[in-house]
Amino acid sequence: MFDGIMLGLSTVLDWNNLLYVIVGCFVGTFIGMLPGLGPITAIALMIPITYSIGADSGMILMAGVYYGAIFGGSTSSILINAPGVAGTVASSFDGYPLAKKGHAGKALAIAAYSSFIGGTIGAILLMVAAPLLAKVSLSFQSPDYVVLMFLGLTAIAAFSNKGQFLKAMMMTVFGLMLATVGIDPSSGTERFTFGQADLLDGISFLLVAMATFALAEALINVVRPEKKETKSINDSDTPQIGSTKLSKAEIKEMAPSVGRSSILGFIVGVLPGAGATIASFMAYATERNLAPKALKDKFGKGSLCGLAAPESANNAACTGSFVPLLTLGIPGSGTTAIMLGALIAYGIQPGPMLMEENPSVFWSVIVSMYFGNIILLVLNLPLIPYFAKVLAMPKSVLTIMILFFSLIGVYLVSFNTFDLFMMVGFALVALVLRILAFPMAPLLLGFILGDMIERNFRRSMMLSDGSLSFLWERPLTLSIFLISLLVLLFPLKDYIVERRRTKAAKLNEQQEQA
Amino acid sequence: MLNRELLGPGLFLALFTLYAVVAWQIPLLPFEEYETVTSATLPKVYAGFGIVVCLLSLGATLLKQAEAVDEAHQSLEKADVLRTLGLIVLMTFYSVMLEPAGFLLSTSLFLIAGFFVMGERRKKVLLLASIPVAVVFWFLMTQVLGIYLVPGNLWS
Repeated sequence: MFDGIMLGLSTVLDWNNLLYVIVGCFVGTFIGMLPGLGPITAIALMIPITYSIGADSGMILMAGVYYGAIFGGSTSSILINAPGVAGTVASSFDGYPLAKKGHAGKALAIAAYSSFIGGTIGAILLMVAAPLLAKVSLSFQSPDYVVLMFLGLTAIAAFSNKGQFLKAMMMTVFGLMLATVGIDPSSGTERFTFGQADLLDGISFLLVAMATFALAEALINVVRPEKKETKSINDSDTPQIGSTKLSKAEIKEMAPSVGRSSILGFIVGVLPGAGATIASFMAYATERNLAPKALKDKFGKGSLCGLAAPESANNAACTGSFVPLLTLGIPGSGTTAIMLGALIAYGIQPGPMLMEENPSVFWSVIVSMYFGNIILLVLNLPLIPYFAKVLAMPKSVLTIMILFFSLIGVYLVSFNTFDLFMMVGFALVALVLRILAFPMAPLLLGFILGDMIERNFRRSMMLSDGSLSFLWERPLTLSIFLISLLVLLFPLKDYIVERRRTKAAKLNEQQEQA
Repeated sequence: MLNRELLGPGLFLALFTLYAVVAWQIPLLPFEEYETVTSATLPKVYAGFGIVVCLLSLGATLLKQAEAVDEAHQSLEKADVLRTLGLIVLMTFYSVMLEPAGFLLSTSLFLIAGFFVMGERRKKVLLLASIPVAVVFWFLMTQVLGIYLVPGNLWS
C-alpha cells in the first residue's frame, strides 16, 4: 500500500496534475453553486476535455470536479436556500437559517471545515478499504459480476425517491436497451441499427451522458423554472457573508457529530445505489436523535451540528462511492457511472485488475482526494464572497452556454453532426421524462453496465453449459443474487406499509362517522 | 393529472413493445442456431422484463386512481414551454448549420439567437456574450490546442 501511495503522490504532485486538481475544484465549485446543476452535469461537461489528456489526469480532474460541485452546492444551499445538488439539501435545513441570522460566513466555514474533515476521513478509509476489497474481488468470476451488476441496477432503483421504484426500473431497462444498439461484439450481428451506418458502433456514452444530464438539466430549468431560482445574490433578503471565524466551544460542540457523520457517510457511500443524498439525510437524522434536548430544539433553526453533520457525511459518501467503482468496476451512483464510462472510453477496465494493471490511475485518484480537499479549504473558503457573485449571473447567458458547451463537446470528440441530431433527440426525450418525474441516473447506469452484463452473462452461460445454474452454484454468487432479490423487494415494504396506513385511516374515519 | 401518471408507463410500454418486435427479428448467424445464448437473447429478456414493469406501473397507477389518491403536479407555463421548444429548434438548426456555415458564424448566431430566446434584449449583452466567446473558443481550439474546427463548406 505504501508503494501505491508513493506512486499516487508522484503522479498527483506532477505540476500538470496539480493544476488539474485545482481547475477541477474551481470548475466544480462554480457549476455546483448554480441552482439546478449538480456534479453529474459538471463532470459530463468536463468529459470532452478529459479525452485530450491522459487517463490519470482525466480522472484526477473529474474527481476534483466531483467534490468541488458538492462544496459549491452547499454554498447555494446556505446563501439562498437553493441547493445546487440533491446531496446538499439537508445542509440548507440549518445552513440557511444560520445565514438569515447574519452568520453566513460562519455557516460557510462550518460547511468547508466539515467537508474537509469528512472528505479526509473518507479518503483514509478509501485507502484502507479499496485495496482490501480489490484483493478479495480478484477471486470474482463472470457469474459474480453478472449478479453484482444486477445488484447495482436494482439498488439504484430501490434507493430512488419514494414511489419512483417502477419508474427507475423502466429507466434502467431503457438504458440496457440503448446499450444493445450497434454490432454485437460476440457474434458481429447488427442490432437495432435500422440500416444507419452511424449506429454500427453503438450509441456514444458521452452523447447519452451529455444529452440526459447537461442538456436536459439546462432545459428543465427553462421549462420549469423554480421560484427559488429567481432569487439572486443581490436580493435584499440575501444575507451578508460576515465573519468566518469559529470559537473553540463551537468546534468542540461539532467535533463528535463530524466524526460520526463522516464514518456513516463513507459506509452509505460504499453501498451501491445509495450516495451523498441518503448519507446526508441519515447523518442529519442521526445527529438530531442523538442530540441532548436543548440542542435538539435548535435543529432546523440554525444548529451548528445540523449543518456540520450532512456536510461531512455527503463528502465522505462521495469518497466512499469510489470504492465499488475502483475495486469492482461497478458504479454506485450516477456520478461514478459517468466516471466509469470515461474510464472505459480511455480503454481502461475498472475492477479488481485496475490496481494491478493501472496502479497510477487507481492511486492517483485516491491521493488526489487529499489534495482536492486541501484546495477546497485553502483556496475556496477565502474566495466564497467572490464565488457567491456567480449566483447573480443571468440565467439566460448561463443556459445557452451550457447548451453550447454540451453540443460542441460532443462534436469535438466525434466530428459527426449525426451525433448532434441524436443528442438533441435524446435531450428532448430526457426532458419529457424529467417532466414526468422519471429519474435519469438509472438510465445511465443501465446504459453503461449493459455491455458488461451481456459479456459476463454470455461467458457465465457458456461456462455452465447453457444453464442458469451459475446463479446458485457458488456461495458468493448465490449470496449476492439473494441480496439483489431482497433489494428488489425492498420498495414493496413501503407499499405495504402505506396501504395499511390508508386502510387504518379509512377504518378510523368510518368508526368516527358511525 | 393522473393521466400524466399513466403517460410515462404508456409511452414506455409502446417503446418496449416496439423494441420486442425488432428484437424477435434479429437475424441469427448459422453457428448461433444451436446456442443457448445468442445476440437476440438479452434484448428479448430486456423487452419482456420492461413490458412487465410497465404493466405493473400502469396497474399500480390505476389502483391509485381507484382509491382517488391524487398527487399535485407542477403545471407548466405556456411561455416556458415555447421557450424550451425554441431552444430545441435552435440546437437542431445549429447542428444543421455547423458544417456548411462554419464554427465561427454558426456559433455566434446560435449564441445570439439563444440569448434572445431566453429573453435577453440588451444589445450589449447579446453581442458581447456571443461573438467574443465564439472567437476566443475558436482561437483556443485551433491556435492553442491545434484542434480542427470546421471553417465552413460554403466558403471553401
